[in-house]
Amino acid sequence: MSNCPYHDPFKSAREQKPVLATEFDGDPVAMILGFKEVRKAARDYTTFSSDAPFRVPIPREEDVRSMRQYPIEVDPPAHTEYRKIVEPFFRQPTQPEYIERMENLLEELILDALERDSIEIVREFAIPLQSRALTYLLNVPESEADLWTTWGTHVFRDESGKSKGAEMETYTNSLFDRAEANPGDDFFSALVQARYQGRPLTREEMQGCANLAFAGGRDTIINTVSTVMAYIAEHPEALDALRENPKLVMTATEELIRYTSPVTHLGRMCPMDTDVHGVKVDAGKLISLNWASANFDPTMFEEPETVRLDRKPNPHIAFGNGAHNCLGAPHARLIVRTLLKKLCQHTNGMTLLSAQRKVEKEADYERANAYHELKVQLISK
Amino acid sequence: MPTKITFITQDGSKVVVEDAIGTLMEVATEHDVEGIDGDCGGVCSCSTCHVKVKREWLDKVGVADEIEQDMLDLEDETDERSRLCCQIEVVEEFDGLIVEVAPLS
Repeated sequence: MSNCPYHDPFKSAREQKPVLATEFDGDPVAMILGFKEVRKAARDYTTFSSDAPFRVPIPREEDVRSMRQYPIEVDPPAHTEYRKIVEPFFRQPTQPEYIERMENLLEELILDALERDSIEIVREFAIPLQSRALTYLLNVPESEADLWTTWGTHVFRDESGKSKGAEMETYTNSLFDRAEANPGDDFFSALVQARYQGRPLTREEMQGCANLAFAGGRDTIINTVSTVMAYIAEHPEALDALRENPKLVMTATEELIRYTSPVTHLGRMCPMDTDVHGVKVDAGKLISLNWASANFDPTMFEEPETVRLDRKPNPHIAFGNGAHNCLGAPHARLIVRTLLKKLCQHTNGMTLLSAQRKVEKEADYERANAYHELKVQLISK
Repeated sequence: MPTKITFITQDGSKVVVEDAIGTLMEVATEHDVEGIDGDCGGVCSCSTCHVKVKREWLDKVGVADEIEQDMLDLEDETDERSRLCCQIEVVEEFDGLIVEVAPLS
């Protein structure tokens, strides 16, 4: 059981209204907070459009990339066709061989961590895990992760928030050059060979897909892994419960992902003047879909600030909802399930040595989201 | 006795499984039935396994329990034939069962 007083900064605003008029980057943003309202808006792409390059993420991302991200920054029906191109890669995590590779990876990382007196989870565990697991998803040699591991939690911002997006683009561009010269069965070669409306993808479209593949699953997975580890460190009884009832791993995964809600919110653009639950949004301006707030809405989740490993049903929208539902969700779910399974198998939990929380400080809220640094000592069985 | 299940996908094509075992969601994902993803692994969290049971099979298959119904209530395109097929365990009596994959709402 965990009661984290900092976890739901939207509580009082949400109790008053399902939408909070706030601002980002000097622009007004109508932030939708209520579960049902967020879910409904996420499915209404006519009123709330994703056809807004650089503005689906909030804060906006012109400073860190030069091209639109695909398929997240387009609306159906174009979105549907772009998504189909990349989808087969993102559905691999349900295959037995893929699951086995992930089990081997987590086993290696956990056994290695058990050898040490202390391990810093973000840099020494979550980043290598995310990087190496991504090579499975993109079907490239695992050695490629050596480079990715050197990147920080965000692929195109360093720890001070400065852009290093140009480096990323140069790197992914070189992957497409390589794929064009010598196509294989990896993600980049698939994009080089793909057809959209009967024509090949432009290099910009390919870059936009690659950019999302690297950025979308980076801080999200890293932050989820550190939050799950901290939770286990603070709740040693959780592993006992999971060991007693291995089936609980599935519901526990959903619950810990709800609890983490690693993406606080995403933006949508209103093509027309729109009344959003009493807040006027001018044409061209943004609303935000606040997944984190929605996932703590007590009208949908009883005692939302309590982690219930057996919560069922658990209709959380930490992976979004509707057409743009997170492509990497099966991969992310597999990582968390396997992490829990292997912690049960090889450890008796861990001792928390030190923790430095990461806090999103915005105009109208401060939200603790994961960790800058989390030092633990794993306890062997 | 092998249990035959037929899935009808949104484009009208049929996927016939001759020896279905497990939940309908597991059967569907093992046979790549378009439109059944089963992302959450069968714990009533994702609603990506929504099917509509052929009317003549409704009595045998049964209705959604409260947890499943709570999830279905969030979907737009549901009716009295709607089920989340991760909650349907295949039994011998289902031999010949036909379900339609629901449209993505």
